Amino acid sequence: MPSTKLDIALVIPAYNEEKNIKDVLLEVVPLVNEVIVVDDGSRDHTSEIARECGATLLRHVTNRGQGAALRTGTHYAESRGHGLIVHFDADGQFRKEDLPAIIAPLMSGESDIVFGSRFLNHQTKMPFIKKNLIMPLARLVNQALFGIKLTDPQSGYRGFTLGAARQLEWRQDGMAHCTEILALAHKNKLRIKEVPITIIYHEYGQRLSGGFKIIKDLLLGRLLK
Amino acid sequence: MTQQIIALLIIFYFIYQQTSLYKKQALSKNEYYFWLAFWLVASGMILAIHYIDALVLSLGFSASGISVLTELAVAILFYFIFRLRLRIAKLEKDITIIVEKIALEKK
Repeated sequence: MPSTKLDIALVIPAYNEEKNIKDVLLEVVPLVNEVIVVDDGSRDHTSEIARECGATLLRHVTNRGQGAALRTGTHYAESRGHGLIVHFDADGQFRKEDLPAIIAPLMSGESDIVFGSRFLNHQTKMPFIKKNLIMPLARLVNQALFGIKLTDPQSGYRGFTLGAARQLEWRQDGMAHCTEILALAHKNKLRIKEVPITIIYHEYGQRLSGGFKIIKDLLLGRLLK
Repeated sequence: MTQQIIALLIIFYFIYQQTSLYKKQALSKNEYYFWLAFWLVASGMILAIHYIDALVLSLGFSASGISVLTELAVAILFYFIFRLRLRIAKLEKDITIIVEKIALEKK
């Protein structure tokens, strides 16, 4: 980690994360300029804990989904003029140790947007079905629908510059935002880079049914344009 | 003939219900006239079922007129569901915009 604080905002969407968010925030708050927690309509004490830990708190009055929460946080980060914006998670799956790898290509000007990939260092212990069925399917769908060729199309650990943020107006409120952000990055010809990250799985996460919902949301999203 | 009478009675019941809702101002004028026209057309089709049978036959379909009408109704229903789904998705988006606005303003 660089010794000085960088002009970085971490956006963390959180929904009923009172059990995990404190540990996450205690780790990342000292590392960046601002940690923006978007409480997506939680019914527990997520908001209070986020505030106590020194994060900037934005509250959705009702649950709108991870994509929506990230959008709210990103818009706020843009309005604050942060040079770099990184999407993080609230349940401790992302590691602060991977943050330098995400931001380094952005700081050097090499890339406009950086995606963390669970498939570049083979250190992530991913559930078998997810690794061998869901992810290959996701890659196939992303390539077929959007022409995206990345190793980890559903990675939520990503960082981008302020300029890139302004070109990433994703519309998906749910989990389909991952694919949409990738597609927008391609469409706007942003300089994309993938870097290896390690994800710590506490629970299964996205299931095959969730994958079908993402495809349905993406197709519906196209019709709504 | 009996089937036609039963179908017409059901349709007239729907029209009666709909008119009651309209009088209670629970249904807008445009919506009322749209559904009234819809049910009147349906009644007309039931009355003219023999002509529709002949028309269907002349078009080369092996099914009877009532089967074709049923299939057409199902297709129309699917279309309405699709339109409804799009409308709900649009409303969802609008709700998210409002929720974001409130979150940013309350900061």
